[in-house]
Amino acid sequence: MNAQTPKPFEEVLEYLRGKKKIVLMGCGGCATIFHTGGPKEIDEMAERLAKEGKEVIGRIKLPFAVFACYLPMSSMFLKEHRGEIEECDAMLMQSCGDGAQVVRGYLEEEMGIVKPMYPANDALGFSGGGPASFKEECQACGACELGRTAGICPLVQCPKGLLNGPCGGTTIDGKCEVDPTRDCAWVMIYRRLEKLGALDELVEIKAPHDWSKAVRPRTLEVEPIDLMEKLKETKKVIEALGL
Amino acid sequence: MKTRSNLERVLEAGQFAVTGELGPPQSADPEVVRRKAKILKEYVDAVNVTDGQTAMVRMPSWAACLIGKEEGLDPIVQMTCRDRNRIALQMDILGIAALGMNNVLCLTGDHQKFGNHPEAKGVFDFDSIQFVQVVKDMRDEKKFQCGEEMTVEPRLFIGAAANPFADPFEFRVVRLGKKVAAGADFIQTQIVYNVDRFAEWMRRLRDKGLHEKIRILAGVAPIKSVGAARYMKTRVPGMDVPDEIIERLRGVPKEQVSKEGIKLCVDIINELRQIEGVAGIHLMAIEWEEAVPEIVEAAGLLPRPRPTG
Repeated sequence: MNAQTPKPFEEVLEYLRGKKKIVLMGCGGCATIFHTGGPKEIDEMAERLAKEGKEVIGRIKLPFAVFACYLPMSSMFLKEHRGEIEECDAMLMQSCGDGAQVVRGYLEEEMGIVKPMYPANDALGFSGGGPASFKEECQACGACELGRTAGICPLVQCPKGLLNGPCGGTTIDGKCEVDPTRDCAWVMIYRRLEKLGALDELVEIKAPHDWSKAVRPRTLEVEPIDLMEKLKETKKVIEALGL
Repeated sequence: MKTRSNLERVLEAGQFAVTGELGPPQSADPEVVRRKAKILKEYVDAVNVTDGQTAMVRMPSWAACLIGKEEGLDPIVQMTCRDRNRIALQMDILGIAALGMNNVLCLTGDHQKFGNHPEAKGVFDFDSIQFVQVVKDMRDEKKFQCGEEMTVEPRLFIGAAANPFADPFEFRVVRLGKKVAAGADFIQTQIVYNVDRFAEWMRRLRDKGLHEKIRILAGVAPIKSVGAARYMKTRVPGMDVPDEIIERLRGVPKEQVSKEGIKLCVDIINELRQIEGVAGIHLMAIEWEEAVPEIVEAAGLLPRPRPTG
C-alpha cells in the first residue's frame, strides 16, 4: 500500500486561495486504510472548508477497494460527477499523488476537462501490515534483492543500504546507529539466517545493486484483467464470509 | 611488492607497523595539514587522512594527502561511499594514483545524519566491500566495475576497516573474511580498549587462517579526559570502553589524566603486540597529534624504518 498522511490544513488552504467552488475526491484503497481519503475524511474536509467560506459542490467518494489510481474503476465515478467537476474552481485530491495524477491525466486527456488540482495528502510510499501499524519494507527498486538477503531488504531497512553486512556503527546491543530504537538490518538478517540454518550465505560477496532498474519515470504495459470476472470472485469471497 | 607504499614495504619486511591519523581542517588552510604532518612524519610509517569524518564538510582527503605527501608522509587516502557514486569513486581512484598516492582505505562512511549537513542525500552506491573489490580489480585486472579495461592501472595498497566490537560478534569475523576475499591488503580496526574481546576476535580470525592472508593493524588512541572516555563509552556507536578504563583514569588527579591516558595507550599497545597476527597499530590521536611521538617512543617502536623513497 501507499502509506500517507494528511497535509497541514493551512497548506491545503493556501493552495485553494481564491478558489470558491471545490470538488473533493478520495480513494477506496490506501487513502481509506490510512484515514486520509475515505468517505468520513471527505465529509470532515468539506466541513472544515465550509467554515473557511468554501463551497464544496462535489464529494467523489470511492467505495472500499475502488482505487483512484486504477482507471477502469475510478473513471466510472469521474464520469458520474462530470457536472460538478466542470463547474468547480479546483479539485482537492484526498488520495496519494498517484491517484491524483492518474485522475488529472484522465480528466484532461479522456474527458477534456482542465481544472486546477491540489493534493490534500503526503504519500510516504510502499508499506505493509495493519490494521494499525504499518512498516516500510519495499522501495520498488525494480531489481529485487530479497533472494540474496534472507527475505529482508537492507536497501530499505539499512539507512546506508548495505548489501554485505553491517557497518561499524551497530551498537553493542545490535541497534542501528542512525536510529537506536530499531534493530540493525543486518542483525535481523543474521538472526533469520541463523534460524534458517543458512549462515553460510553471509560469506558470499554481493555485487553492487543495479540501480538502472530504478530510472524514472517507469511505465509498463500489461494484459488488462477482466474486471467483471475479478469482481465476481470478490463477491464470492464476501458471500463465503457470510457478509 | 604490489605498490610503492611505504606501509606495504614495512609490513612485507615483517616489521611491526605504525600508522597515524590526520584530520583535515574545516577550512581551506593548508598550514593545519602541514603542522600535523610535521609532527607525525618521523613517528609513523603512513598516515590516514580522513574523508569528511563524522560527515562534516572538510578539506577532502586527497587534497590534504597531497599536502601531506609534500611534507614527506606516505598518505593513506580514506575514501567513503557516502558522498560518491560508483562513477565518482572510480574517478577519484584514478586521480589519487595519478597524484602519486600509494594507499587507499575503503570505507562505507559515517551516515550524513551525524554531520553538519544532516539534510544531505547519502549516496552509498557501493558498500566498503564492493568498493575494495572494485579497486582490486582496477589494480590487478586493469578493469573498471563495468568490465571495460584501462591502460594504466592505479597501483594502490588497499585497506579496509573492521570493528571487532559491534554486533553481531559472530558476523564480524565473517565480514572480515569478505574483505579479505574482496582483495584488501590490510585492515585497520576500531579503537581497542577491550583487549580481551579484541583477542577473542583475533583468535577467531586465526582459526580461519585469515591472519595469514591480511595484515591487521589494531586501532589505538590515547584518552585525554574522563569525560572523553565516558563519551566514547556511551555516545559513540560501536565503541567498547570497559569500566576499568574509566576507573583507571578517574584514579589519578585531574591534571594527571592526560598523562595517564598516554600510559594507558602504551600499555594497550604492549598487550596488542603479544597477540599473534597483529601486524601493527593504527594510532588515532585526532586533534592530539602531539601525543604521537611520546606514545610511539614509550612503546619502544622507534626508530621507524626509513622510507626508501
